[in-house]
Amino acid sequence: MKDDGVPDGAELARLIGLVATERDRQAYARLYSYFAPRLNAFLRKSGLPPNTAEEIAQEVMLSVWRKASYFDPTRAGAATWIFTIARNLRIDHLRRIRTAAASEDEQGEVETAPSGETLLLTAEREARVREALKTLSAEQATVLRLSFFSEKAHSEIARELGLPLGTVKSRVRLALGRLRVLLEGHS
Amino acid sequence: MTIRHHATDETLMRYAAGQLPAGPARVLAVHLGTCPCCRSRLAEFEAVGGALLEAMPLAPMAPDAFAAALRAIDAQPDDAAAPPLARARTKPATPASLPGGVPLPAALRDCEIGPWRWVGLGVRASTVRLPEDRQARLTLLRVGPGRKLPEHGHVGTEFTQVISGSFSDGYGRYGPGDLSEMDQEIEHQPIVDPEGECICLAALEGSMRLNGFFGRLVQPFVRI
Repeated sequence: MKDDGVPDGAELARLIGLVATERDRQAYARLYSYFAPRLNAFLRKSGLPPNTAEEIAQEVMLSVWRKASYFDPTRAGAATWIFTIARNLRIDHLRRIRTAAASEDEQGEVETAPSGETLLLTAEREARVREALKTLSAEQATVLRLSFFSEKAHSEIARELGLPLGTVKSRVRLALGRLRVLLEGHS
Repeated sequence: MTIRHHATDETLMRYAAGQLPAGPARVLAVHLGTCPCCRSRLAEFEAVGGALLEAMPLAPMAPDAFAAALRAIDAQPDDAAAPPLARARTKPATPASLPGGVPLPAALRDCEIGPWRWVGLGVRASTVRLPEDRQARLTLLRVGPGRKLPEHGHVGTEFTQVISGSFSDGYGRYGPGDLSEMDQEIEHQPIVDPEGECICLAALEGSMRLNGFFGRLVQPFVRI
């Protein structure tokens, strides 16, 4: 298993494609070395104990192998797709039942057939979101991250930052409002 | 259907993050089924998740984790080459439609829809049970035309998705496909419009004391 530098979104998507069509284990190794330690960190950050985080990170990577053919680059970037797998497995773990993935798949049924145009739009969305995140202030980025990782978003953040609940609520709203303006300003 | 009341950014972000409790998450899933605008906003918040994942510092896996992954792959039959459509979908036995011939939203197809029960004030309620969380408090409500309801506030946020008919309160008129998120600071007095009965799906978040209008109505059913 080797890591040839940091692969970009297009490269990650290509690797998933190779896993889907060729069952390419080298491509899978690269995906594994890139994503598994990040998933592990991500799942710990979202409140799972270290051994559970690692187990679920492993499960996510096994899903990436099994479900590679479900990856649709017209819908989401590679990291976003893998993020949603991790999210669903985390929910499943917390509810001790496996259904989240099914309802997730169903949502897509109403979508129209993918085209080159939607692929471009998806790539643009991924880029736009990343740009927007970079331009948030440190304070805004903090509340955004905290609300992404805490189940009881507002009350937990309030406790962590030692701020009144109302202040936290308005900061989260401000950060999301700012993100919204940035996202829409580019579209 | 023209949707005028959408999910808030905060709710979409929490759904994207997997942090919204099961009940409100289903109400939102029904809304997403009818609202392309919110689906595209959700995709943005999921992309935020992808970006946060990539920006994570590395927490190394156990040294033998990759070898274990390969062993797990070899141990199971490889069905991933099959195209997604080849997968059979199980269809649970739930009514295909709601009273008045209103189709059951696709996002509720795997739920157990309880019998309709009269709860007074021109309101009938049916408990919706989720396969992923039997404790989730989710209720379908049928409210008669022109019903005026007592003004009320909330302890937690009340998520209400209109499936058919409409109601109005001080914040606007809610028709099919609209989502109302009523925060605990907000007091409102919904009135079902006179044209016909209104069917909606409601869930409360984080409330131990169900003093909202819908909350009070569903209290006998959820047995909190």
